[in-house]
Amino acid sequence: MDPQPLFLTFRLATITSALLLVLAMPVAYWLAYSRFRGKGVVEALIGMPLVLPPSVIGFYLLLAFSPSYWFGSWVEHTFGLRLVFSFPGLVIASVLYSLPFTVYPIRAGLQSLPPTLREASFTLGKGAAETFFKVLLPNCKPAILTAFVLTFAHTVGEFGVVLMIGGNIPGVTKVASVAIYNEVEALNYPAANQYAMVLFAITFAILLVVYSVNHSLLRARQPA
Amino acid sequence: MQFLRPLTFLLFILLAGCSKPSDKIIVATAANVQYVMKEIQAEFEKGSTDSIHIVVASSGKLTSQIREGAPFDVFVSADTRYPEEIFKNGGAEEKPKVYASGTLILWSKNISENELTLAMLADEKIRKIAIPNPETAPYGRAAIEALKAANVFEKVKSKLVYGESIAQTAQYITSGSVEAGFNALSIVLAPETKQKGNYTIISDSLHHPIQQAALLLKHTNTSPKKSISEKFYNFLYSEKAKAIFRKYGYR
Repeated sequence: MDPQPLFLTFRLATITSALLLVLAMPVAYWLAYSRFRGKGVVEALIGMPLVLPPSVIGFYLLLAFSPSYWFGSWVEHTFGLRLVFSFPGLVIASVLYSLPFTVYPIRAGLQSLPPTLREASFTLGKGAAETFFKVLLPNCKPAILTAFVLTFAHTVGEFGVVLMIGGNIPGVTKVASVAIYNEVEALNYPAANQYAMVLFAITFAILLVVYSVNHSLLRARQPA
Repeated sequence: MQFLRPLTFLLFILLAGCSKPSDKIIVATAANVQYVMKEIQAEFEKGSTDSIHIVVASSGKLTSQIREGAPFDVFVSADTRYPEEIFKNGGAEEKPKVYASGTLILWSKNISENELTLAMLADEKIRKIAIPNPETAPYGRAAIEALKAANVFEKVKSKLVYGESIAQTAQYITSGSVEAGFNALSIVLAPETKQKGNYTIISDSLHHPIQQAALLLKHTNTSPKKSISEKFYNFLYSEKAKAIFRKYGYR
């Protein structure tokens, strides 16, 4: 078994989760506290990857990233970068594809905090940013952890989008889920099984750790 | 347990709808044959009551599915290796037979026909080249052989992008995501892809022939699909079918 696809999968998942954590914070904050009328539209858009077939996202991204269409040619001329069949392209696709998995848990975490917490901080003269980073975030650690891990696991499990825009280049876009698919297609079941077992074991271990940590965090907060 | 009874009833209703066996046979078809197959199907169904369903995927995927018991009746592959594999594992009574030889092309959305050569792939303006996955697709293997024979393989190795079948590779080429790519002549001659870019035929002296075989999958003697499957399988090798294959660039 070539370990490269596995490393690539975990590299993609780590970068995607870290990027999304940064991107999702302001979005989640806005969703939790804004009184904007069109909030529903934004919420629906963010949730689309939950319900859209990966093939729809993959198809539109293939067109968007292709140098024959305006976005792809603009990126190519401006940055000299071609997103289709490249690792940065996979990162962008994964960020779009896993967005709700980061935003929703953090938003839920913020909404579950007592409103008095935020009000008290404002009353004591703290600004919105300081309140967010020093008061609100430390109080929803389990939500942030859940968001990170769900995003990570969801990206590890990505298949359809990568298959459509990746081009299966070893070491660049050939992630583990695609490697499994290839081995099955080449009738090489033992190799497919090795990849699959590793993915199963690692993702299970990650989820197990998270739920255990979450339980202990919640217990610490509510002393019996 | 209140919900169990309506649930069972619902399940029954749903399953009842698919208990009647259809007498249409299913022909598992490799992606490069999909367009020519439509015409073969029309010709076969003309003036008879027999009809067929066509399922399209890459030969490798279809072989995996057949091995795991997919209800296919005839397998029309893109190579000879996969049908041999099924035959060896007892999935068929008789050996696979070659029905046609495929033609490899180099295809591009924007590069003009007289500019398209194997040597020009080494050029700097070519950033990406699409090729069907050589591990599973015979056209991909032939493309690698041709690149090596033309002494450009080492120069273009890093530009290669692998489609999972001939169809996905065609999608990469026609969407302009790659500058050029390898494909089957049968794909560019199909009405669906005509006028999409330019192509040049790769000389068959540069690669092993792409022989494509079909296989009549195993049926029990009592199976209602057996006779139609045999009829269709034999039709693939008839003069009528051969003429259609030639029209789509098969030899």
